[in-house]
Formats: sequence, structure tokens, C-alpha cells
Amino acid sequence: MKLRDLFLLVVANLNRMRGRVVMTMMGVVIGTAAIVILISLSSGLQASTVDNFSQFGSLNQITVFSGSRFGGDSTAEGLTPSAINDLEDIDGVVAVTPYEQFSGQSVLKYNRLEGFGSIYGIDPLVLPDMNFELSEGSATLGAGAVIIGSGVGSGFSEASDSDQGQGGGPTGGPRMMFGPGAQASDTESTTEALDLYGKTIQLELTRMSEDGQENRTVRLRVAGVLASSGGNEDYNIYMSMKDLDSLLAWSRQERPNWVQDGYSQVMVIAEQDADVTLAVTEEITNRGYFTMSTTSIVESLNSVYAIIEAVLGGVASIALLVAAIGIANTMVMSVLERTREIGLMKAIGARNRDVMAVFLAEASAIGVIGGVIGVIVGLVLAQIIGVVASAVVGTESGTTLVVTPLWLPVFAIVFSLVIGLIAGIYPAFRAVQLDPVRALRSE
Amino acid sequence: MALIEIRGLRRYYVMGDTVVRALDGVNLTIEQGEFLCLMGPSGSGKSTLLNMLGGLDKPTDGSIVVAGHRLSELDENGLALYRQHEVGFVFQSYNLIPTFTAAQNVEFPLVFTGVSPEERRHRAGNLLTELGLGDRLHHHPTEMSGGQQQRVAVARSLINQPHILLGDEPTGNLDSKTGAEILNLFVRLNRTGQTLIIVTHDPRVAEYGTRTIHMLDGRIVEDVENAQTNPDPELSPTEESLS
Repeated sequence: MKLRDLFLLVVANLNRMRGRVVMTMMGVVIGTAAIVILISLSSGLQASTVDNFSQFGSLNQITVFSGSRFGGDSTAEGLTPSAINDLEDIDGVVAVTPYEQFSGQSVLKYNRLEGFGSIYGIDPLVLPDMNFELSEGSATLGAGAVIIGSGVGSGFSEASDSDQGQGGGPTGGPRMMFGPGAQASDTESTTEALDLYGKTIQLELTRMSEDGQENRTVRLRVAGVLASSGGNEDYNIYMSMKDLDSLLAWSRQERPNWVQDGYSQVMVIAEQDADVTLAVTEEITNRGYFTMSTTSIVESLNSVYAIIEAVLGGVASIALLVAAIGIANTMVMSVLERTREIGLMKAIGARNRDVMAVFLAEASAIGVIGGVIGVIVGLVLAQIIGVVASAVVGTESGTTLVVTPLWLPVFAIVFSLVIGLIAGIYPAFRAVQLDPVRALRSE
Repeated sequence: MALIEIRGLRRYYVMGDTVVRALDGVNLTIEQGEFLCLMGPSGSGKSTLLNMLGGLDKPTDGSIVVAGHRLSELDENGLALYRQHEVGFVFQSYNLIPTFTAAQNVEFPLVFTGVSPEERRHRAGNLLTELGLGDRLHHHPTEMSGGQQQRVAVARSLINQPHILLGDEPTGNLDSKTGAEILNLFVRLNRTGQTLIIVTHDPRVAEYGTRTIHMLDGRIVEDVENAQTNPDPELSPTEESLS
């Protein structure tokens, strides 16, 4: 029996029991649509969560802390320059830089405005590898130069102890969710975001000495402004390690001895590949350091979502299993009703495998047609749910709560085909096993 | 060698505690071109013999050789191929597929043999036209009379050019006039050399055949040559085309 003939025969047979086929198909449609909707929602949730996390840092950057910072009894040596050299030798590592935060007391000033930022010292040679995206300027750090995050400029406001009676700018300007600015109270007047590129800002340092409080002002030229990442980094100020050394020296009244004490943090930049980043992270952890990388957070999130997806998919699959029983039932009924026809087919020379093929193909067709319709219904409903959910939750425009992976429709259709095929096995066997003599005599 | 050779054919069924001897030692030789009528009361074994000849049932014992095929030695697949190429069935209740047109019903057996759709359509159309149903090709069974339906069924049984046409009470559901039409059709086919074997319990039907066999309790009790006392004397214009 040729495939084309089988196809035409199946179409004719399904058309004959149209009503029942449609009702049976409904089960498959519901099951497939449920799979598509639930997995699309869970993928969407995963994508938006991972997206949020990715804002906290480039995926190939690993922040490494010395063990002692957490009070752990790590056996690893401190993050000394020689330790940095060792880290650089790990396979997959592109560059390593100190990532030391300025720990002294300081205020950022621009004209009469006060601002804030976390000051980090880094190795200027590593800048090209840090993948800084600049909105203005260049990624170079000379003496007295800084690269600032996009949020720094918007964090300036009238000094709280200012004696100027000015009303200040509009309130409710850009506010950040995280970072030092979170403490800023709403009553404080703020100005509009400043474009600090090319400007010089002052960093006013304060230290307590035997003579009481001492101040020193350092002038910093803004060599570049980073594009917004949406995370904490927007409030970072990067300077060369050399500059930071001198700030710390004044603030602590002694030069820091990195060779002896080690840095408190270093940044390891790995190759742009999640697997490499994970391998490097693991290696560094094995050496006794504490690490934090967005990739490993994202990775563990992904595995959590994989489980959620599997559970949701499993729940939806139950609907498809029920549909399979429906298909089997419809096909068994069909075999009973068409007993004489099966007898006739055998009498005019249909082989067992022909009879088998007809019934398996009919059951599979119910499955696959239901699957295709179910996928379409599921995709449409998922989009509607996504729009409604975005409106209710109030996500930013552009972020979607529904993501349908490409494999999902294909999988759903193949799955419904297989379900139909399996459901057809028992009825097809019953058809094959009919005795043609008795089948022809049946009423 | 004869077209059909049956030797010591037995077919026993077990029904509950009793053994039913549907066929109990049948010996029979049928030559090419015979129009054989199998007669006998219900349970005499005539239908079982017919099914045996059609490869739908397997003997308990004995041998049955049709056109060189030893049926008792064929497996299910072999029997299906035998039915595909060597025999054509006509049933009492036509057994047409209701959703198929006349032409589709006629070409249906060829679907399983891999003949191309164009060839199938061509052959089915020709055959139905020869049987006087040229204007009914695209009618469904429900749109046709019983006689027309049975003619469609006859066309279907002939589509694979079988050695033997087997009929199980082919006129049982028809009134005597349409029944006679079908029987006359059989006679005309027979005159072109077609071998026919028909089961009937109507003695008038047997008058159309060339040979009548009476069965009782699974055995042949009478075997007579017929003079074809009641065939259709008029030869229809389609007869030439049939030959």
C-alpha cells in the first residue's frame, strides 16, 4: 500500500467519523496547548529573571574574595600580586585585575553639589578586557582620571548642610533601587542628572588623626562614562590602582602593602563562554578562594527553572495521556463499527500490515492534527496571557513574560504524534486479529 | 492440471464441548471455465468450502491447490497475496464502502497491490462501463439500487482479473428480476472463460451454472453437470467487449 493511498484512505475515514474525531482531538488540543502555555510561561519567567541577574555584571567576570574576608579558615594564600599571576595561568582566564574598593570616608563634589559612588581601583592594562561599554569617552585610565558609571551623574544633589536657600531641582528625579543612593531621603532636593564627561569632580577625603579631623580634596577628571547596565555598577567609579594606592595611603596614613596583605577582591575575566567561566570559577573555588559570578548564579537559576519546566510539562502531559486514552477509545469503537469493512479489506487482499497501517495512521493523524491545532492555540493564548500579565505586573515595555523556545512547538507536535501512535497500537492489533470470515458475517 | 484440486479437505471447529465438522473429507476437482454452484442446507459446509477456496480460512487437514498455490502451506501474508491476485469475492450484502463512490469501491483492491492511481481509475471506469454503470461512476452506494450495488461489487471482484470469482449468495438480497440480471451477468462472464463458484440454496440459481454440487454435513453428496437450462439467451452488446 502506497503512502499516498494510505493518506487518502485515512482522510476519508477520519472525515467519515468527523464528529467523534473532533471531540477526541479536543483532548489532544487541550493537552498540547497546556504544554506550550506552561512551558512558555516558565521559560519567560526564567528569561526575565536571568536577564535581571545579568545586569549585575558581565557574564564572564568572576569576583574573587580572599578567604579571610568571610572569616573562613581558608588555606589559600591572600590575593597578593603573585597570587594574581597564578590566577592568570588558569586555562580560560583572559585577565586578572585587583578590584579594590576605597574604604575611607569620602564625599564626591561637583561645584556645590554632593554625590556619591563606590570607588574601585583596577589595573588600567586590563581595561580593554573588561568589556566596558562607554556612552562617552574612552576606556583608558591615566593618572587622575576616572571612568564613572552612568548613575553617578544623576546622584548629585544640594548638600544637606548647604546654607543656600535655593529650592533646588525637581524632586523625584532618577532614583536607584540599589546602592548607596538608596539611603537618600525623598525630602532631599536633587538636581537633574549631570553630564560629567570631561569635567573635573572633587573627591573630598576625611581622616581622623591625632590632630582631629583632616580633609583633603583630590581632583579627578572624568575620562569616560559607562553605558547603563541597570545594576549596582552604575554607581561605580573606576580609577587606576596607583591612584587608589595614594588615596588609601593618605586615608590610612600608611601605604597599603599588597604583597603582604593581598587585595580584598580581584576580578577574573574569563573567555566569553559560560562553560569556560564555570570551569574557571570552579578551579578558583578549588584553590580556596570565594567567588561570585553572575554566570554561576544564572547557571543555578537555570537548573531550578529546568526542574520547574519539567514539572509543568509533566502536569500538562497528563492531559495528553488522558487524550491518548480518548484516541484509543475512539479507535476501538471504530474497529467495532468497521468490522465488516476490515473483513472486506482482508478479503480483497489487504495484508495485516496494511490494516495495521490504516488504523495506526488514523490514530496518529488524530494526534498530530490535534497537536498542530493545540500548538497554535497554545501560542496564541500564551501571547495573550503574556500581554495581560505584563499589564497586571507592570513590567517595563520590551520585557516579555512569555518566551516560547523554538524546540517547543516541534516537541509538542512530535509528542502528540507519538501519543496518537501509541494509542493506536491496541485498536490496530484488534483490527489485525479479526477473523475475516467472522468479520464479514458481522452485522 | 486442473485449476482447483481438493483432496481430503477437513475443517473442524471446537464449539464449547463439541467438535463441529464443517468439512469432513472433501475431494473435488474444478476445471478452468466452470460455473459451479454449491448447494446444501445451512451448516452443510458450503460456505466453509467457499471461504477455504478464497483463502480466508485454513484447513484442519487435507490439501487444496488453486492455480498452483498450495493454500495450506501459505502464511497470512501469502494468503493475502493469493486473495489479491487469484480470487474475487461477491457477497450477499454487497459490502461496498458507503463513503466511497462506485469507482472508488471498484478500484479499492488495487490500492493494496500498488497499481498507480491513474491506472486504477482507468480500469475501474472501463469495468463499470462494461457492466452498464458508466453513468454511475461517481455515485455513492446509497444512491444506487441493490442490483446496481451488486454490479459494482462484481466489478470490484473482477478488477484484479482473478482466476476465480467466488460468490456467497450473491442474489440473496435481490428480488428475482434483479437477481436474474446478476446471474445473467455471471453467465456472460463464464462464457468469456471466467471460472465462477457460487454458494446458493436457491435451486433456480443453480440452473444458471454448468455444474451443481450438493453438500450435507461437510461432505459432497451429489455432483451433477448442468445443461445451463436457464441462462440468458440474449447476448448483450457488452458481451463482445467483455471478451
